[in-house]
Amino acid sequence: MRAAARRWDGLLFVAPFLLLYCTILIYPLLKGIWLSLHRVDLFGQGTLVGFDNYARLIGDPTFGQSLINTFLVTLMVVPVLTVLALALALALNRATRDAAIFRGIFFSSSVLSVTIVTLIFRFILAPDAGLLGEIWQGLGWEPLPFLSHPDLTLPALAITTIWWSLGLPMMLFLAGLQQIPEDMYEAAALDNAGKWTTFWRVTLPSIRRTLILVVMLQTAAQLQMFGQAQLLTAGGPSGASRTTVLFLFEVAFGRWELGYASAAAEILFLIILGVTLTQYWLTGRDRESGR
Amino acid sequence: MRWMLALIAAVVLGSCSQAEERTGLYIQRFFGECGSQYGSATDISKAEGECGIITTMINAFQAQHPDLSVSQNVVAWPGYPQLTAQMAARDPPDIVTMHGAVISDYAAQGLLEPIEPYLREAGIEPGTFTNAARGAVTVNGRIFGMPLDTHGGLWHINTRLFEQAGLMRGGKPVLPNSPGELVAHARQFRERTGKPYLIQSLVGDPAGAARNMYTYMMAQRAAVFPDPKHMRTNTPEGRRVADLFRRMTAEGLGTSNMDTPAAIAAFMNGEGGIYPTGTWMIGQFETEEKTRGRPLYRSYAVLNYPRLWGEHVVFVSGHAWVVPKRERTAEERSAIARFFRFMAEHNFDWARTGHLPAFQSIIDSSRFRALPHREDIAPLAEIGRTLPSYVQRQSAIEGIVGEEAAAAFTSQKPTARALGDADRRVTEFLAELP
Repeated sequence: MRAAARRWDGLLFVAPFLLLYCTILIYPLLKGIWLSLHRVDLFGQGTLVGFDNYARLIGDPTFGQSLINTFLVTLMVVPVLTVLALALALALNRATRDAAIFRGIFFSSSVLSVTIVTLIFRFILAPDAGLLGEIWQGLGWEPLPFLSHPDLTLPALAITTIWWSLGLPMMLFLAGLQQIPEDMYEAAALDNAGKWTTFWRVTLPSIRRTLILVVMLQTAAQLQMFGQAQLLTAGGPSGASRTTVLFLFEVAFGRWELGYASAAAEILFLIILGVTLTQYWLTGRDRESGR
Repeated sequence: MRWMLALIAAVVLGSCSQAEERTGLYIQRFFGECGSQYGSATDISKAEGECGIITTMINAFQAQHPDLSVSQNVVAWPGYPQLTAQMAARDPPDIVTMHGAVISDYAAQGLLEPIEPYLREAGIEPGTFTNAARGAVTVNGRIFGMPLDTHGGLWHINTRLFEQAGLMRGGKPVLPNSPGELVAHARQFRERTGKPYLIQSLVGDPAGAARNMYTYMMAQRAAVFPDPKHMRTNTPEGRRVADLFRRMTAEGLGTSNMDTPAAIAAFMNGEGGIYPTGTWMIGQFETEEKTRGRPLYRSYAVLNYPRLWGEHVVFVSGHAWVVPKRERTAEERSAIARFFRFMAEHNFDWARTGHLPAFQSIIDSSRFRALPHREDIAPLAEIGRTLPSYVQRQSAIEGIVGEEAAAAFTSQKPTARALGDADRRVTEFLAELP
């Protein structure tokens, strides 16, 4: 009797969270799945079409290209962002005033909205009047068309995203670094370990969990890239920088095809879930094998 | 102390109740954000450009109607995704800017109010609209928008560079009459000035490329939309248009890497001969024309798209104010009618942007004809053509056509593949519509 009462007490404690979680996450997820099985616009009742929307998506080259673009830009962003954030955290992990100022400076880009960030990078990357274009022309070279060449637009989105997103991973790494006991470094010094050896044998294993967290968070975030692609390149040229979320935004709110957009969203959801679980499983296997 | 707190509370509550007495009017519009320059301006005659004039008009309306509380939301062009989301959430604004080509999509879904009652209350007779303006806002015999203008593509010209290129005659720019002549003029221009003949905005601006396709396919009497479910651009007529602009771009006679802000800046800095865009840029370029020391000083002309094939026609559209459907009080409905009346009274001011007025009496007026360059572009009212009214989702279709056409113009795709992709994407999309 007492145990049952305690169970109800516990449920009451988590009930507000569960209610909110179900309302803003589980219900929309289920509703999205239901909509993806319908041909429906934003304002109509719709008709049940089974898996027709999914079949259409598989045969839609625009959607296929958006998936490839999304994977490519994620691959461009996540490794570079992780390495840069870790390097900055290592460089700024000291209790000096200068380090505190630089931590603030490097974090400051993260507080800007995507609109401001893309505006700044348009001024930098535009070939005819941008900062890089001017420098290139000053050196007598032809400016690189970062925002209009199909091979350069994804790197442009990646550069913008890395600059914008550096702050949070850097802070996570700093938090991880500050939890490493000082005596481990003292022991490494007594063993005459060099800087690289100390980094590989002491620092990196100690912040392994933070590293996994950063990679997983950033992978999930970049697979959902939207604002940069919409505002900097509008998905162009010819869809070369259209990400999956931009595709589903255009389909839902430009073409009003809510069912089709929902199907695209469900596929993206499954991909993110799959990638995240795979990463978790791989790192979990490492943990079990004691590496 | 208690007395002091009670006094403050009374003042705060008093001011709240006063504010609530005012009828709210929530306006959503595109045309850009320029609050830093025109945020408090109310003298409409001194405002310049689309953004400046519309901001000042709304400020002046608020100043003249202190019993109303006007708030406005500026959306990025064209703003339909936001509006659609607001409507889906059943929280639309009171009045919204909308292109004529898009009105039927929203009206057909029962999302807009027919506005005849508002026009009656405002004392505006729909018969006074121009034919083009009235046609753009009429769906199945009902009027769904208060027209602001008719607008279309124009060639904005740097006459100093044209003079240098030997392309001026009798003080007027000489424009080509055939595709071959266009290439010949452009080569001559490039040779003598060292600059591109066309400043093209082909990055992130699907409307520009789509306008070229629609205009010159219509000129060849090609049926771009033979029926409500199909689009045909991958035809001899469509490929002719795309190949012409592809050739111009490949030869460096037209720019290829500019988005709209870059193209505007390039034209204003005298970095090319012609900027093919629309009526909406006239006001801004006129200001440059009048400003001593600027590259366009006394060096600006504007003409309709030239006839390169068959018939001299230009793809046009129009802006209008529409009223999303929702429950409204009598005061709120009256506020909308007063806004329409104010906009009608200031339609000449809006025409200073370069757009053609929505009222025939203003087009015919001497003060409109006396505005710079308006005589040159007035034929747009007769040669302007819209897409067939049965074509649904014209805004989304324009995005697809423009994206694929730009890919063809810049040689990112072979012409036939780009236009074939456009046809396939649009036709597949139209097939899904009820």
